[in-house]
Amino acid sequence: MLDKPASALRLRERLLDSERLMEETGCYDGITELSLRNQDPLKFETLHTKLRAYCVSAREMARRISASPGVREVGEMVVAIYTPEGDAIALSNGIMVHVHTMSRFIKWMIKNGYEDNPRIREGDIFANNDAFIGTVQVPDVMDVVPIFHEGTLVGWAGAVCHELEAGGITPGGDVCLAQERFTEGLFVCAEKIGENDEIRRDYVIRCERNLRMPIYWVLDEKAKVASCIDMRESVKQLISEIGLDYWMKVSKEFIEEGRRAQLARTRQLTVPGIYRGHTFYGHVTAGKPGFQPLGDPDWLYNIPIEMEIGTDGKITMDFEGTQPWGYHSMNCTPAGMDGGMFVTLTQHMNFEGLVNDGAWMATELKLPHGTWTNPDNEMVATATSWALLLPAYGVFQRLLSRSFVARGYVEEAFVGQVNSPMIEMGGESQYGTPFGMAHFECAAAGSGALAIKDGLDTAYVGWNPESDMGNIEVWEQSMPMVYIGRSIVPNSGGAGKYRGGCSFVSTWLINKTSHLRLHTSEHSSRVFDNGGMCGGYPAPTCQKHRAVRNSNIHELAAKGEPLAHAPGTDPHVSDYERNIGGDHVVVEGPYITAPHKQGDIFSHSYNGGGGYGDVLERDPVKTAWDVENGFLTREAADQVFGIVLKDDAEGYPVADIDATAKRRAAMRKERMAKAIPVSDWIAAERGRVEKADFAPEVRKMYASAIKLSPRFTKDFSDFWNVDARSIFTPGAKP
Amino acid sequence: MTSYSKEIIRDLASGQLPWPQTRRIMSAYKDDDRFFKMVAVHQDRVPWKDPILLPVSDHLFICQSGDERITRCECGHSFGDYRKNWKLKAAIHVRNTEESLREIYPNSDLPDPEWMEIREFICPECGTLHEVEAAAPGYPIVHDFEPDLEGFYRDWLGKPLQP
Ligand SMILES: [Zn+2]
Repeated sequence: MLDKPASALRLRERLLDSERLMEETGCYDGITELSLRNQDPLKFETLHTKLRAYCVSAREMARRISASPGVREVGEMVVAIYTPEGDAIALSNGIMVHVHTMSRFIKWMIKNGYEDNPRIREGDIFANNDAFIGTVQVPDVMDVVPIFHEGTLVGWAGAVCHELEAGGITPGGDVCLAQERFTEGLFVCAEKIGENDEIRRDYVIRCERNLRMPIYWVLDEKAKVASCIDMRESVKQLISEIGLDYWMKVSKEFIEEGRRAQLARTRQLTVPGIYRGHTFYGHVTAGKPGFQPLGDPDWLYNIPIEMEIGTDGKITMDFEGTQPWGYHSMNCTPAGMDGGMFVTLTQHMNFEGLVNDGAWMATELKLPHGTWTNPDNEMVATATSWALLLPAYGVFQRLLSRSFVARGYVEEAFVGQVNSPMIEMGGESQYGTPFGMAHFECAAAGSGALAIKDGLDTAYVGWNPESDMGNIEVWEQSMPMVYIGRSIVPNSGGAGKYRGGCSFVSTWLINKTSHLRLHTSEHSSRVFDNGGMCGGYPAPTCQKHRAVRNSNIHELAAKGEPLAHAPGTDPHVSDYERNIGGDHVVVEGPYITAPHKQGDIFSHSYNGGGGYGDVLERDPVKTAWDVENGFLTREAADQVFGIVLKDDAEGYPVADIDATAKRRAAMRKERMAKAIPVSDWIAAERGRVEKADFAPEVRKMYASAIKLSPRFTKDFSDFWNVDARSIFTPGAKP
Repeated sequence: MTSYSKEIIRDLASGQLPWPQTRRIMSAYKDDDRFFKMVAVHQDRVPWKDPILLPVSDHLFICQSGDERITRCECGHSFGDYRKNWKLKAAIHVRNTEESLREIYPNSDLPDPEWMEIREFICPECGTLHEVEAAAPGYPIVHDFEPDLEGFYRDWLGKPLQP
């Protein structure tokens, strides 16, 4: 009887029991003592290292099965091993955000009676990409297989790949036009997609008939199943060596140890107290093609976070005061919010020793019902959750970093992640076949600055610490275009004593197609969706995108005349406009284009990170190097950083240290002369607040926050000494 | 137990430590005696004598000043009781026009000043830019950090503060 666990209790009871024990003892599964660890710490550590090695090697093997450049090149995959109740014991590197979302998926099946129907048997394969069950967005498709030992379910192996095409209303995975669940793409809702280690043929047929690029999805399924089987067999072998009783006990002790390690790490690295921060996200879709008139087309979202670190080491994050869910693709589910928390913690606090679900258990998220973080309607779209998730967890990183600075661990302080807007496309490929895919070079943005050095240039995204933009040639193989430029965007990192990492911009020439549609997502084009820290400025993330239809590039090339390979540094006139003839287009994201054809040119730029510290303290020598290498413009070095550059004999910039000191002293004086006391500013600004003298989107944002949050209402009213409710929601019931 | 000299901590904090050495510190087990060493490094740097209790930003410290605990700028300027938001006693410069935003972002696309402004919080005495907020117009100023100073010294450092 393979479908009945040998334990007297069925999985569902075991799960509820485990939750009860945690509630009663405060320890995972009621483990108040790490007895196996105490007995033989070396054996304990060795076993966990083995499990982690199983995960890492299974993922590497699977990446060779995949056809998708997202998985092969960029590494958009993670695998993990779970307890029977679905708690992660060990995980691979990669998109670690999904370790905990898979945990939710397994628990969901157990709680929803899957033991009885469709039953959980050896050799079964279950898949899911429904964010309300456990994932972030439709393209994050996860597969899990149960691990049995002599008829007893002893764990799960799971794997996630980010798909480059999900079959939604727009091609690609981050379906920016999805305003409800029904346009997001192909949903697999905790479905049994295979038996006896084989994926069902009818499932593959469904994928083949509902996706624009089924080869990626289907081969990724095979890659995931192969990695799960690989991990499963390794675990079974291990159990035959160490015995079932030891396995059942040690796998849970690993998690309890992970929980304790997280609490201890918090007490070691941080300072208890309350930390606050915020960021914003805003764009317009009014008048843009494709968007249905379901609600207000323009969005300004405030994302305030209050983080509390208790003296027990527990971290609590509270999103109260943020905006309601909306008819757009950027809503998130609690699973996605958990995932964001998990991937951030693994990078910042659990970079050594045990990493597993124990870390997540040492934290708490407060996600107000009805907001984008916890929608009270399961029909909402979450196709581009990252649009709000990344800015939100960038705030979390800055709050944690404040605590590292206070505790003296300045080398861990990091201004954090930013959105990395994605461009996706579809239509007819260069091979004459239908196609659709996400361009995943976005997985290599600029990072925020550190408290002791500049941020990483084109080498970091929050969701995957192993960031990679992929090789140009591989992207050119997959899409009907060729690169005519990929270059650093000068000044794209936020200014500061240490600047944020810079991003890059790509320029493409469309090739061998008469139909290529483009669209973008995760792009806050009206407000910065990131911040600086300790005096650093936010990165300039409100970027426009440029295209040239019917370009004369082939004629220019034939005559050997100069082309343009990047937009350049004049915000008013791009180098494309200067050098290339044709119909020039400047668009603000998110956008969806009418079909392009060969000979058209388009560009897309990614985001840099925020800065750290006062700009007037930046090292002039480093700045000269930055100017020489295209990370900063001369203009910025001079007017923002106050650094006077001269040219050396060969025309390279060198810093004039004395002139710089003089210039900076003058700038400091000017700064003080321009500034006014905050109390004066508040007194003057209060009049504007009382009249709600703001843009309609700003007024709407306040009204929504006030309707949802008594705390926001009180804080706003107390700060300005006004009645926020009567100003922004007149006539509404209190 | 990992431990570093005060000189190494000083160079680390000022960004002067060579990268290979910094990287080794980042990869190693943390030095548990860091906090008081870092406080000593800061104390050497500031031109005033009040004992530092906690650094809260690059140039802002909570210190014991007689019977009071205040937030003090590196230059000596006091922002008052540490439990209050120091920003309310700072000077501010707000960038809410294209022209003023352009000064900081000379070559980039800008946010819509109707939707977002940049607020610079400056020490009125020395002109240090202590913090920048990017916020919608009308958004209340954020109180970044309210440390549990007593709990920290009592429960985590094992050296309770004198009341
Ligand atoms: Zn000062």
